Amino acid sequence: MRLPRFEYLRPSSLYECLELLEGSGHESRIMAGGTDFLVSLKQGVISPQKVISIRSVPELGSVSEDAEGNLQIGACANLSDLVKHSLVLKKLPALHDAISSVGSMHIRNMATIGGNLCLAPRCWYYNQSKQWRHAVEGCYRTGGKVCHAISGSKRCHAINSSDTAPMLIALGARVCLQKKDNKRWISLREFFRDDGRHHTVLEKGEMLTSVIIPCETGKDRSTFIKIQHRKGLDFAIGSIGASVKGNGRKKEISLIINSISSVPLFLAKAAETVMESGFNESAIGKAAEIARGETGAVTNLFTSAGYKRQIVEVLVKRALSSLKRK
Amino acid sequence: MPDRSNGYSVIGKRQPKLDGPLKTTGRSQFTDDIALPGMLYGKIVRSPVARGRIISIDTGKAERLAGVKAVITYQDCPGLMVGPDEQLLCREFVNYIGAEVAAVAAVDEDTAAEAAELISVEYEKLEAVFSLEKALAEGAPVICEGRKNNCADEFEIDVGDVDKAFSEAEHVRVDEYKLNHNHNCYAEHHVVVADHSLPGKLSVWTPNQSPLFVQKGLAALLGFSVSDVRIFNLNTGGSFSSRGGPRNHHYIAALLSRKAMRPVKIFCAADEEFLMPRDSGEHKYTVKIGVMKNGKLKAIEVVSLFDCGAHWNSILTGVFRGFSNVLAMNYRYDAMRRLGKIVYTNNPPNIGHHGGEIRQLNLVAEAELDLIAQDIGIDPLALRYQNAWEQGDTTIAGVHYGSCGLKECMEKAAKSSGWKKKQGKLPPYKGIGIGCGGIFSGGKSGMKDHDTGSAMVRIGEDGKIFLDIGFSDMGQGSHTTMAMIAAETLGIAAGDVTVIAGDTNLVPYDVTGSSQRGTFVVGNAVKAACLDARNQLAEGASKKLGVAAAQLVFRDRKVFPRKTPAKAISFQSVVSSLLHSDEGRHVMGRGFYNSPTKSREIWVSSLAFSFGAQIAEVEVNPETGVVKLIRMTVAHDVGRVINPLGMEGQLDSQVFGGMGQLLTEECIMEKGLILNPSPLDYKLPRPFEVPEVERIFVESNDPDGPFGAKEGGEGPIVCTVAIANAVSNAVGYPIKEYPITPERVLHALREKENKQETKA
Repeated sequence: MRLPRFEYLRPSSLYECLELLEGSGHESRIMAGGTDFLVSLKQGVISPQKVISIRSVPELGSVSEDAEGNLQIGACANLSDLVKHSLVLKKLPALHDAISSVGSMHIRNMATIGGNLCLAPRCWYYNQSKQWRHAVEGCYRTGGKVCHAISGSKRCHAINSSDTAPMLIALGARVCLQKKDNKRWISLREFFRDDGRHHTVLEKGEMLTSVIIPCETGKDRSTFIKIQHRKGLDFAIGSIGASVKGNGRKKEISLIINSISSVPLFLAKAAETVMESGFNESAIGKAAEIARGETGAVTNLFTSAGYKRQIVEVLVKRALSSLKRK
Repeated sequence: MPDRSNGYSVIGKRQPKLDGPLKTTGRSQFTDDIALPGMLYGKIVRSPVARGRIISIDTGKAERLAGVKAVITYQDCPGLMVGPDEQLLCREFVNYIGAEVAAVAAVDEDTAAEAAELISVEYEKLEAVFSLEKALAEGAPVICEGRKNNCADEFEIDVGDVDKAFSEAEHVRVDEYKLNHNHNCYAEHHVVVADHSLPGKLSVWTPNQSPLFVQKGLAALLGFSVSDVRIFNLNTGGSFSSRGGPRNHHYIAALLSRKAMRPVKIFCAADEEFLMPRDSGEHKYTVKIGVMKNGKLKAIEVVSLFDCGAHWNSILTGVFRGFSNVLAMNYRYDAMRRLGKIVYTNNPPNIGHHGGEIRQLNLVAEAELDLIAQDIGIDPLALRYQNAWEQGDTTIAGVHYGSCGLKECMEKAAKSSGWKKKQGKLPPYKGIGIGCGGIFSGGKSGMKDHDTGSAMVRIGEDGKIFLDIGFSDMGQGSHTTMAMIAAETLGIAAGDVTVIAGDTNLVPYDVTGSSQRGTFVVGNAVKAACLDARNQLAEGASKKLGVAAAQLVFRDRKVFPRKTPAKAISFQSVVSSLLHSDEGRHVMGRGFYNSPTKSREIWVSSLAFSFGAQIAEVEVNPETGVVKLIRMTVAHDVGRVINPLGMEGQLDSQVFGGMGQLLTEECIMEKGLILNPSPLDYKLPRPFEVPEVERIFVESNDPDGPFGAKEGGEGPIVCTVAIANAVSNAVGYPIKEYPITPERVLHALREKENKQETKA
């Protein structure tokens, strides 16, 4: 497959980058590592007139720790570098697990944290070559009026497969979204949108520039689990990021699951069950069963909705058991 | 000099592949590396409609696009039939998504792609059928005119008195199995360069396993004399049955080149490869086995349906009939019956994958045997052992076994895996399973009435040799094997041999790189050619040493009288003295081999068969259904191991291939489209999934094989059915649909629960 023609821009500062983004509006797309983006370009799933590469923007590649011990990662920080980064290894081993589960080493050598968070939802009815798509009716994603994954549905049901998103949400990460003359911080949990049209809250001319992850204190602990068909080089059938913050009655448990539907899912009821009854086996079992009912899974990308729900149950059970042990 | 049963100087030594260094450093040439002066790039326009009538094709815009040098449609090749029911470039009807409708050649790939998009084809959509049941149903649309009920071919093969044998059986069992569509997944994508810029001559570069078939096919259909078509088969990244002859992109590239009078390259990346798969389509089987309570197998009957997609290939007729013999290959049944039906659908056309249908047939027969063993309360390995054929036997299908190490394979695999300690004694969700099988080493068939392989050897003045063979090395390491056979015969080192292959203008005749015929057939030809050369050398050396030619030994680059090795002279000096003699003789040897059997049936005409037994150990996760293949014990009778290093690679890679096809690899089909057409979504295993493999070679020393060798390139994958049997064993419930994905495991576990509840 060949790349279509586009204008390639390579700003060397964040200011220049935001200016280009502002000036080009919907005609342009940001490219970080390009591991997913370039495939979509080749398939003609997206066809921007301008591609803005952020690989040479120095501000976006940094990893640092602030005075409170929070970890700040630039959107363009490379996943292989992060896997090896001492701060990630030492302070956030679960995040390390999540990052090292992405793609393969070759992919991580190119891919970035911002890219993984902005990863476009995938669907096996449109993440296909032009020639292939020519054989099926256009869907919501390609300008048509149907969803092949759920026929009769009024929206797109592509699947969000980011592995770092559920972990970072569970860790309480916040993301910085910047425009030429505006900068806002929001919780990563609020970054994703589930309307089947736009998968993030990014506005025109806006981009994700960094992620900040609060440091874990005291008895805080977290875990990441991914179930996939192959050992590596695979998107998840389901992945979970889970964390416990605080202690005793103030304890807060987060269970975030992804690759099941269009956005990372917050399993509130399941988490509540364990918060109320503690980490005992029956509560864990009950939470897992509740989680199963809490998710609206879609038959798409290799597995049926029923199997995805089963995987949710397994992931919740495994994640809670792992947190119990930690 | 008679063959020695041991004491070889080259055979049996671990020889790294001779082309290994070039390949591992990325310097080997593949077809896509070919760039000829003035070469154009072709692009094929494919049907987006599964079944339809072509109302119009408008190529005007494409033809007017700057840089476009040729556009072709059916009008450029009227009546050019590439199969019994398939016209090259669709004329009136399209019958599958991906069918070739038109093609363009342009100065670069982007222009070709742009031009292809400018060709507008108007279709009237017609009702299509995608499942075997619907295709066979009353009133289904007829996909191929004149073929009632969409039945492309139907056959029945009876050996022995089947009904009598079943009526005598004390226990009979019938089960249904389904094998889903899987893809070949070549390491090298489809690519072709065709150069027809000189009138009357056609040169074609393309990865393939049978240069002769490609050459003959192109010559016959495009009106050339065979020798005017030159096929270059550089390195080939895998073939797996469906690179055995000319494919449509070969014809299209040649026609584009003819029209543009310039060379044309067509490259099909993964996305396009899955639109033109010619894989193994869906198989459905009903398997019936009759047995006596003491374990004596009486009869086997297999009724099968095969989805050949939109086009039926006449090769299937010969292959499916001939391969039915697999049912009686391993065990002493009194009788066997095979009823087969090949069915048209509007799925992409299918040919086969890995040994035609042998792997599939053996899979269901071996799975059923486990159920039979369970029913009558006999250990599955013991049941197989009790009924296994032995050396010297002639099977009910009339196949004679000059060598047969099946029982020895079972014994060794059982011992090494600890079968007795494990079978029936493993904790829940852990399983152990056995699979036996094998395959012929070359043979004649409907597609070839002889099985000739040939070789020429040219001996250089420095004592190094050139070995010319027409046989393809698709990665299996055959060229290294051939070099070793040549080196052993001439008493030189494998590294002294340069194999010349891959250019039909340079190499002698060779039928095909299929039917597992390399080591056995071509090996025999190589040996014959080298013996021819050696006889000439021996004549010269005999004068030099004053010893009768028959008394001479060729070994370690030396020639010496058997009784007085100290009198050795160098191999090179013998070559040199002949060249510098009054006669001025350049030593060249020639040889060919064709199975001397009278039969023209692929199975019966083969002289040697490999056999194997494999034992798989698995662990199933009852929550996710994920199967972990822990350990494989692989025992295979290959007659004689020519190159242990190469053979180990073959065993490992076939375990790899087998586990993929049994556990993960499946083309998810929907309305004639493959939903997972990429190496990312088509779940080919990765090296990380490969289990621990214990390899056991059984050397039965075949009387007809070169140095006793027979095939080892396909037999082992046939035995990987052990994996499926181990999963059923772990689950405690038979799984009858493949590949055994996690969802199917969970489904089996649920069914098992339901059944237990009903019983309770």
